Amino acid sequence: MGSNRMETGRGRGQAGVSAAQGGKRTFYMSIAVLLVGGIGTLSYMSTRPTGAGMIDSTIAPIPNQGHMIGSDSALVEVVEFGDFECGACGSFANLTEPDVRARLALTGVIRFRFMDFPLQGHPNTWPAHNAAWCAGEQGKFWEMHDAIFQNQDRWVTEATRKPRKVLDELARQTGVGMEQYEQCMITEKYRPQIQANAEAGMRLGVNVTPTFIIGGRRLPGALPYDEIKAIVDTMVAETRAAKGTKKAK
Amino acid sequence: MTRRMLTALVALVGLFVALYLALYKAGVIGTLACGTGGCETVQLSRWAAFLGIPVANWGVAYFTVVFGLAFLATTERWSSSRGLDFSLWALTGWGVLFSAWLTYLELFVIHAICRYCVVSAVIVVVLYVLTHLEARVHLRR
Repeated sequence: MGSNRMETGRGRGQAGVSAAQGGKRTFYMSIAVLLVGGIGTLSYMSTRPTGAGMIDSTIAPIPNQGHMIGSDSALVEVVEFGDFECGACGSFANLTEPDVRARLALTGVIRFRFMDFPLQGHPNTWPAHNAAWCAGEQGKFWEMHDAIFQNQDRWVTEATRKPRKVLDELARQTGVGMEQYEQCMITEKYRPQIQANAEAGMRLGVNVTPTFIIGGRRLPGALPYDEIKAIVDTMVAETRAAKGTKKAK
Repeated sequence: MTRRMLTALVALVGLFVALYLALYKAGVIGTLACGTGGCETVQLSRWAAFLGIPVANWGVAYFTVVFGLAFLATTERWSSSRGLDFSLWALTGWGVLFSAWLTYLELFVIHAICRYCVVSAVIVVVLYVLTHLEARVHLRR
């Protein structure tokens, strides 16, 4: 009987060992599946073209410049990649940008450049970018830029499917010659420039609007004035110090 | 499968979630978006960094350590280590507190919820439960 008990015990022991081995096998298999699945998913996500719907490959590449406020001789350039239909861009334009322009751009500390970055999830943004450029053709870009952002709630996709009505009204209010504006809008004359700006942003790794480029640093999000001022002050001090060093040599 | 093995597997899932957020923050991954979405708002807020390092990067380091320790605990050499189990318990306990702080910030300070952060917080709680049950075995002995 004792021998039988021992055999049964040994049998149970062997069953336990093989169960443990089976459990380990499942464990290692699960790790392998998670590793392959996780790495594969992240690799796919990092290589897929995120802005495919935004870029029309039939348009030939052209130089990109955006629109600028401030002096060419300013020590620091602040570039904003923005989308007219983006709420965060709207709140930056309405709440922070007036201070940036008045205290930094118009005092000669920086030049501020707006670069178009129309997002594919915003159907009404292209007409708005076109409208700003068409107004810009008549020297009214910044007036139209401000009017578009201040009235964002009236023409965005949630409000209307026909943004042109509001945009045209805003253009008229800013004093744009409507005949020339209408022709510009119909032909989408500045689409290549808008696209060139967006492509420049994508090359810089912009994936959220607004994104600011200040002295080669990519800063996503609607930055508060104090943060922009602090970065600009640091850059101005660095540039002056570098110039001083050059002169001393 | 033992609780230690489950802990390692759940930590590995957490590692990939944190890795996704870290790559998103670095601009390598993710869809083009306006900065008003839940994840964008959270990731672009000043709370998205801790001691100057993005929280997502802390997450990657944290889940790597938890996975490493839990994996070690599944090997025969460390199978009876009380220290390893108590370390994991303490580590996941700290993780729960840190996640609770981040969730508080999302709800009451940033006023935005990032679903990946929520997934990460749930994973940390599951890890805590698993390591707590494992440590309790030692306490009962």
